[in-house]
Amino acid sequence: METLLIKRILFDFFDGKATAIQRKYLEEWLTNEANGETYYQYLDEWESQRPQFAVDADKALGAYQLILENEQPPVAPSKILPVSSSGLFRKWVAWSVAASVALLAMLGAYVFRSQLLYETHRTAFGQTSVHQLADGTEVTLNANSSLRVPRFGFGSETREVFLEGEGEFKVTHKVDNQRFIVRTADHFQVEVLGTEFVVYARAKGKRVFLSKGKVKLDLPQGQQLYMRPGNVVTVANSGRYRLTQAATARRYVAWKDHWFYFDNTSMTEVADQIQEQFGIKVLVPEPKLAQRRIAGNFRAEQADDLFQVLAELLNINVVKKRHYIELTTPKHP
Amino acid sequence: MQQVPLNSDENKGDPAPERSINRLPLQPGKVTDDELIFRQLFAQDPKRGCELLFRRYYTNLVNHAVRFVYSKEVAEDLVAEVYTAFWQDRVFERITTSYRAYLYQTVRHRSYNYLRWELHPSDSLDSLNTQGLSSALQPDEVLHYSELHQKIEDAIQGLTPQCKRAFLLSRIEGKKYLEIAQEMQISASAVEKLMIRALSQLRQELKGEWFVSLLLGFITCVC
Repeated sequence: METLLIKRILFDFFDGKATAIQRKYLEEWLTNEANGETYYQYLDEWESQRPQFAVDADKALGAYQLILENEQPPVAPSKILPVSSSGLFRKWVAWSVAASVALLAMLGAYVFRSQLLYETHRTAFGQTSVHQLADGTEVTLNANSSLRVPRFGFGSETREVFLEGEGEFKVTHKVDNQRFIVRTADHFQVEVLGTEFVVYARAKGKRVFLSKGKVKLDLPQGQQLYMRPGNVVTVANSGRYRLTQAATARRYVAWKDHWFYFDNTSMTEVADQIQEQFGIKVLVPEPKLAQRRIAGNFRAEQADDLFQVLAELLNINVVKKRHYIELTTPKHP
Repeated sequence: MQQVPLNSDENKGDPAPERSINRLPLQPGKVTDDELIFRQLFAQDPKRGCELLFRRYYTNLVNHAVRFVYSKEVAEDLVAEVYTAFWQDRVFERITTSYRAYLYQTVRHRSYNYLRWELHPSDSLDSLNTQGLSSALQPDEVLHYSELHQKIEDAIQGLTPQCKRAFLLSRIEGKKYLEIAQEMQISASAVEKLMIRALSQLRQELKGEWFVSLLLGFITCVC
């Protein structure tokens, strides 16, 4: 084909071995603008086959990355203005407009940086959702949670996501043993190769339940912890952590099917769970009721489903106030 | 961004690790050119685009530039400057050719200007600004660049062995005159004389090479 012929002639030409006939041929070939692109493509290929010395590309790349990071493009040029001009004020206005526009653009880029760089999956109260990440990993998000996934580079160099709330991860094992890291607030992170686990990271504290495989936890204090299947690690906001063996996985994955799993759970804790799950504030003013413990599995897609069950089970009143719900024992049984 | 008709890439042997970044499904049996991937990437994240463009072409561009400027340091700086301007001046938004064509053209032009400045320091440097470089180079000019670096190569090869050695030690290995003097067991002033002789011989050999038409072509398209 002609492309092979052209390639040979071009390589001869780059090597300085072309005849006058070949040169004339190339000149005509180049009159077609599309061929200009081919010319540079072959020039690049020719260069890559004829290295002249060891270019330290890594060092240069490091310097370039610094420029990319620190010198954002639309920066208003700052020049010293010539004085003595009658149009000084007008120039000053023009410069300040330019500077403001640049500043706004920079601010905008900064404010929306996170939207640009990350894709965020969010769930509302009472809602769960399943997401498949680019590397095949499956993430089930519990209600009132968010997962940020980098738009660029995910799976090519590292696999890192950021979680707020609760989620179950079924991480795909990659051939090159690439790590998968779940980061949460306060420098708490879970690092795995390929496994299944549930991370809980809310205002109350953090908790990781491992159902399969092996994970490494990086605790805020810099401690590291390896978990085995069935292990639960609970980390309080104070930084204290506790490793226990879970009797059943159900408690940690029940939420996936809108189940509430109570096992000797106090009413205070139940109220907290409702608030986390549905965003409804629940108060239990009577200390005696607050300390009552309940057990059982309840399926509840809405908060009302659960309130109904609780009202029947404990024979209590569910009173809807303006900004919260109050659970009380009836005065006249 | 304007799409440019791209010829399919023939060099399948090219490792091009950047391809793994592309998460769009590749059509089976169709070889995609790096350029298309870069275009998609720049539309999403210019910073990452610049970085990958750097990884992909930096080494080859330095290799190309050094044929003209015959100095490792100058070639590296010059190519880095092109990339810096590419990001800081948002050149990537304006180019109408492929990224590859733009980078090679700009590096060639800057190398040419550097060489011209080095051998004819009296010339004005006003025309060195290369932003807004037009894609429409005349075929003869495109080819002339290759002929120019071949002439430079011939001129270097034509230097006396002593002269050539001193020149290469200084320009490619980045050695100081004193170090070269020690290595060649001559005096520092002798090294200096050899360097002056090398440059003047280059100047002599390339006398007829300063193609005015090319330069005029650049001036008219610099905005």
